[in-house]
Amino acid sequence: MDGYFYAVLAVGLISTVTCIVAGLMKKAPNDVTILSVAAVELVLLVYLVGSIIRVIAGERIAGEAWEFWGYLATALMLPLGAVYWSILERTRWSNFVLAAVGVTALVMAARMNQIWY
Amino acid sequence: MKEAPKVSTQTKPAKSRDTRNTGPGRLLIAVYAVFAISATARAGYQIATKFAEAPLAHLLSAFAAVVYLVATVSLAKPGRTWFKVSLAAVLVELVGVIVVGAFSLFDPVAFPHDTVWSLFGRGYGFVPLVLPVLGLLWLNKRRPGKADPASANAQ
Repeated sequence: MDGYFYAVLAVGLISTVTCIVAGLMKKAPNDVTILSVAAVELVLLVYLVGSIIRVIAGERIAGEAWEFWGYLATALMLPLGAVYWSILERTRWSNFVLAAVGVTALVMAARMNQIWY
Repeated sequence: MKEAPKVSTQTKPAKSRDTRNTGPGRLLIAVYAVFAISATARAGYQIATKFAEAPLAHLLSAFAAVVYLVATVSLAKPGRTWFKVSLAAVLVELVGVIVVGAFSLFDPVAFPHDTVWSLFGRGYGFVPLVLPVLGLLWLNKRRPGKADPASANAQ
């Protein structure tokens, strides 16, 4: 597991806990929960840029390259889809939708690490 | 993923009762959507790369993917017909995860390749086992024609 994974792990867990707490407090999605999901997206974008640089620098992906990029592309779409879905109906349940992003992203990052190394 | 279901009920409050796409239902649909994507990707990958190794397991993966796709879309749609489609999809999902889970447990040789439902969805944190139960509870709560104490007073 590399630094990218631990970054996704940390930010993802913080985002998930934040959104769950907000949901339990019966709050609708607000700046805090949406920005926490945006932070997950930001870390994933850093992962993307960093991975492109590593490949250009000559590093080899041990597993299937297209599987790695597939996971990364899907993970990058998760926060966007979740935010879109959550603001269509702004209830506390939408915060639980946002909460799913962080854990899903960290599971996918773990899988991406397995493919890379 | 989540952009697939088009939400048409939002602007029609008159039909708001006959929909599953609200409140906790939206969380359920979101989780189903994630499983529809991951099951589709997994089945596609398996069939594209190693279908000949275990055709049955990989066809099962594809079947599971279709079930999750149908469940996601039908749960997001309003009306009685879509309710029936949802009910069928969730029941098939429940039977599938129990039967495939049991087979993979008692006869691991027949299921050398994992599907979403193998070992009752252990590879996915047992979410595949819990999801259809929550789905049935939600469908029961929002079934068409059921008396709704909240809206009965309002009407």
